[in-house]
Amino acid sequence: ASAPALSSQLIVAMATAPHTWLRLVPSCRSYSKATRLYKIDYPWKDEPKPHWVRQFEARRVDADLTPENRDWLRQWRLQRVRDAVASSSEAAAAASPLKEPPAARPLWTPRVSQRCGLVGIKLGILPMWYRNGQKVHTTVVQIPDQRVLRWVPPEDLGNYASLREMRPYRLNQSFLPRWLTQQRWGLQLVGAVPADPANFTAQWCGIFKAAGLPPMRKISRFLVSPDAALQPGACLGLHHFRVGDCVDVVARTVNRGFQGVMERHLMEGGPAAHGSTKFHRKMGSAAGGGGPIYRGKRMPGVMGNRFRAARSLPVLRVNTKHRLLFIKGFTPGPPHSYCQIMDSWMLDVRRSLDANPPPMPTYFAEDAPEGGYPEDVYHPDLLPYDQPLELPD
Amino acid sequence: SIQLEMPPAPSAAAGSCALSLGSRFLFGCRVTAAHRFAASPVQPPSPLHQQPHLQPCRQGRRWLRPEFRGVYKPRLSPEAMKEFWRLSGIGPDHSRAKVADQQAEVPPEIKRLYQEALPPIVSQDYRDPIVESLHRAEMMRRRRVINIPEFHVGSILAVSVMDKHAPNKVNRFVGLCILRRHTGLFTTFTLRNMVDQVCVQIEYELYSPSIVSIQLLKLERRLDDNLLYLMDAPHSHCTIPFDMVPEPYSRNDPVPVNRERVRLNPPPWMCKWHLHGYQGIDLEHLYSYLSDKDVAKAIEFSKAYKRYDLLDQYLNRVPVPDADYAFKDIFIQHQELLQHQQQQQQSSKKSEVISKLTGTA
Repeated sequence: ASAPALSSQLIVAMATAPHTWLRLVPSCRSYSKATRLYKIDYPWKDEPKPHWVRQFEARRVDADLTPENRDWLRQWRLQRVRDAVASSSEAAAAASPLKEPPAARPLWTPRVSQRCGLVGIKLGILPMWYRNGQKVHTTVVQIPDQRVLRWVPPEDLGNYASLREMRPYRLNQSFLPRWLTQQRWGLQLVGAVPADPANFTAQWCGIFKAAGLPPMRKISRFLVSPDAALQPGACLGLHHFRVGDCVDVVARTVNRGFQGVMERHLMEGGPAAHGSTKFHRKMGSAAGGGGPIYRGKRMPGVMGNRFRAARSLPVLRVNTKHRLLFIKGFTPGPPHSYCQIMDSWMLDVRRSLDANPPPMPTYFAEDAPEGGYPEDVYHPDLLPYDQPLELPD
Repeated sequence: SIQLEMPPAPSAAAGSCALSLGSRFLFGCRVTAAHRFAASPVQPPSPLHQQPHLQPCRQGRRWLRPEFRGVYKPRLSPEAMKEFWRLSGIGPDHSRAKVADQQAEVPPEIKRLYQEALPPIVSQDYRDPIVESLHRAEMMRRRRVINIPEFHVGSILAVSVMDKHAPNKVNRFVGLCILRRHTGLFTTFTLRNMVDQVCVQIEYELYSPSIVSIQLLKLERRLDDNLLYLMDAPHSHCTIPFDMVPEPYSRNDPVPVNRERVRLNPPPWMCKWHLHGYQGIDLEHLYSYLSDKDVAKAIEFSKAYKRYDLLDQYLNRVPVPDADYAFKDIFIQHQELLQHQQQQQQSSKKSEVISKLTGTA
């Protein structure tokens, strides 16, 4: 039995008149800057969505199968996955005799268009040099096979299951986010990294079955404008981003474990010597005289493992052999962690994209240059290692 | 009137739930993810001590935060990465290692020339084979532009870097190599010398394109991995004339080892040199400056039991299979580099001959 849906009218009403459903004083937003939305605790808070579906399943040990047959079945399953990925790829769509004439591609509309993003796997860091001799560190991100899973138009956001959790806003006396209330953007679900279906539960595989795709390890959400919407089964590729495009990379930061207050909140601590009695790395006072400790007070706790965005990082190099993006600077997260890469939301980048629009709604084979792409595509300011540096006088 | 709806029950599709959200147990226990196992054919991990999300506590069972439970794992495990690479075909390229397997063993000169090709000594979580192979490939590409000779800590080098403020646009520095750090494209080396009675140490990035040339003046090795103690030694040990003539050496001969033992200046020192196991310091002379307690500590440190510390050896060495793989990869690229250099020589000879015949300068 599913709960009744929140209509869009309700969302708007809640946004415009929160005092009608909030019990406390409406002007009381939060006690201090330290109070953050993610401080609210409910059991499924930090779990990846869809948290109401169990993803992984312990492998069943079938005693009737010999090891050779088990391996053969595994290879057969992996081959089925490979075939499913290949049949839904761009090359297959272009070669199919049933292909339809290409639909009219949407135009890039300034201040309106927001494309889908890509799911990437952060691999490591490679240093490179500019043509003026300056050093730059690039993050190497691999783009796995990914397909569009679902499109949720802005009108249906209120019905969407994972957005119906109102407790964080109620408890924090805060307002709904604008992307939910304004309803300018819809949700694009993208699945990445196809894998052996035996790893997953039937419920998880069922999510992909509806779109006709093999089960994948990662499901990501992107906020996309309706003109750049992609339908289930659409292929997202490496050349969705071009060399020179500025991107935002959103990922979960490295988990540094339980950390004290000096490491976590950069507090001063106490003196190391001069008679200091057991006060070297402590917090000190927690509140004012007689008053309670306010919600959100900075204290020791687990540090890291939060979603953070590195904004406006240019793509400096693209490698087509291993499907790598070389993004300038450093992105959050440890190696082999997922990251979301999308067109930057910074204003100067949006304006530059208006002048030089990217492939809308995504890259298709017809956008390829004649002769295809070379193995490595460099930014013009970047110096490849097999070229000598020539400084101007 | 507006009514808020509760979120949907997470296991709405399942049958009867053993536990429900918000219910309070006998000892104030809060519900964990156990409800998810209700509909699963696989049995959940039942023994209490195996459930990492329950904490023994006087107030009853406490609910541990997801970070402690390891619920959210946004990383791909090494097995998942291998499966992903096998399925998609965009994994690390093993073709060069296979070619090297068919050839003879990797010659020792490769291990001397390409010391920085070894993977870094860090935990497996921070290592990636594709990134390491990219480092190696870019290193070899840079070596097509500039000749990087074999050198060790204790060798004397002359390095020329581009400097727009210098009269000839090139800045040349001669010095003794005291340190060689990091791996891959991050490799750096530090040269030390006396300039106008001032000690100068310059750290260069080996693969920086602003380096015009690296010339080896004297090939030598010392007893230590780094010569940082020369900072507290008399300046005569690191005074090298800028007009030093390069000494010839042969690649086939083993690297000569300079077994001199340096006498340090009297303390205070920049660092407790007696606690790092340096072999290149005159220890008797060093201990004469120290108190008995410090001497005992130094001797304790240098005891031979360290070579029985297996964990120390494991953590501070590159795994042998990874080192072999790296050198095989580099060996094939080294052969390609030699071919490229031969072709360049031939083409330069051709262009010389052509220019002579046509009479152009």
